[in-house]
Amino acid sequence: MKKFLTLLKIEGKLSLRCVDSIFFGVCMPVGIVILIGLIAGQNPASNDVGYTLIQSSFGALVTVGICATAFMGIPLTIADYRDKKILKHFFVTPVSPTMLLWIHAVINMLLSMVSALLIYAVAKVFFGYEMIGSKLMFIGSYLLVMVSMYSLGLLIASLCRTVKTANVVCSIVYFPMLFLSGATIPFEIFPQQLQVVASLLPLTQGIKLLKSTSLGLETSLLIPLIVLVGSLIIGIILSMRFFRWE
Amino acid sequence: MENSIEVKNLTKSYGSRLAVSNLNFAVKKGEVFGLLGPNGAGKSTTIDCILGLKPFENGSVRVLGMDPTRERKRLFERVGVQLQSSSYQGNIRVGEVCEEIAALYQSPADYHDLLSQFKLDQYLKQPVAKLSGGEKQKLSVLLALIPQPEVLFLDELTTGLDTEARREVWHVLTALKEKGLTLFLTSHYMDEVEVLCDRICIISQGHALVTDTVPKLIQKSPYKRLEEAYLWVMKEEIAV
Repeated sequence: MKKFLTLLKIEGKLSLRCVDSIFFGVCMPVGIVILIGLIAGQNPASNDVGYTLIQSSFGALVTVGICATAFMGIPLTIADYRDKKILKHFFVTPVSPTMLLWIHAVINMLLSMVSALLIYAVAKVFFGYEMIGSKLMFIGSYLLVMVSMYSLGLLIASLCRTVKTANVVCSIVYFPMLFLSGATIPFEIFPQQLQVVASLLPLTQGIKLLKSTSLGLETSLLIPLIVLVGSLIIGIILSMRFFRWE
Repeated sequence: MENSIEVKNLTKSYGSRLAVSNLNFAVKKGEVFGLLGPNGAGKSTTIDCILGLKPFENGSVRVLGMDPTRERKRLFERVGVQLQSSSYQGNIRVGEVCEEIAALYQSPADYHDLLSQFKLDQYLKQPVAKLSGGEKQKLSVLLALIPQPEVLFLDELTTGLDTEARREVWHVLTALKEKGLTLFLTSHYMDEVEVLCDRICIISQGHALVTDTVPKLIQKSPYKRLEEAYLWVMKEEIAV
């Protein structure tokens, strides 16, 4: 346990020194929630619903931190450490290199949770946000979305042989997920055809789930749950099959 | 005397290319053993196989009487390893990389002592990336000493070091040897091998050409220095 904490401390410090993960994972979503709050915080999301725009966006905004850590932080760190043979070097120590992967999973989880809590605090303190649905259900959904996206991030790290390809693949995955899933731009304002395409993204389904639970909506969540659990299982199975330590 | 490292009939190939062929040697406790040969001869592959980093088709490997893949956790408490051209996490500082490695072992050496022995103590707070090539190389040897190893593997230990730094490293290693450290190294510098090694094995294309003590090998050759004797063995490619 002491080993784990020492490594967590050092690797955590290293992660904090990379400003891009903090910027994309924490500053950006907090900035967006402030913008939405200033523009339309107390207005209803549309004419005939009983919730405000900020209430309707909350479920989507908390996924920005997950998105940044799952599709940038985790795969890029693993690809980099593999390229530099840092993972290989752990094989000639008494500690398993798997521990290093767990440490980075924990660091990224903490980072996305900090991002979600900050969004919540800003929305509540400045724009009077209240969650309509059950908080417990929401936290459960949030954790499911997180592990599901992380398994896809691990899959990217497993399939990309070099840091360069990992970089390209991460950009190809990260930006569409960020803009098309509804995490930053509300899904409802997309044209019909784009909505169909965007619905294929796992994160879109994750946001549907989070939106529903945060607003306490009585819609069927079967498809989002199937997609998220499916991504999780497929991500883990394929990662175990294709992951290389060097 | 008991053997610290035992390699028997080690054979390893990549696809159809034979990288290591039927290699045999044993390193006694407290001995300094050098594995020599040109680039691509199979030195690093041999080290990887001994350390359990690569699977091999045939043969057996024992380090301190243990199987490196099956008893990894127990074995590597007592074995230090420097792999060729090590690199580190971006942004990591010298003190942090030492602290991280030290955290992996039950009874690590005091890395502050090691840093001052290697004259790296003034860089404690500096990013590793800012160190010169030679200082980085010294750091990689230093990190391999953190477990207070009984057996130490060094792959190209002084590549990129200046004369003075090379002497510092030799000095630390000879002092540790006197305390009973077993050392397995590869090197391209024959003066270094002459200073440090008790016995050497010269390999070419995965085959052992000769395994002998340094003085005996020189005696067998028509030359007086190890460098010439080495070139002679390589040119003849004969089992001496």
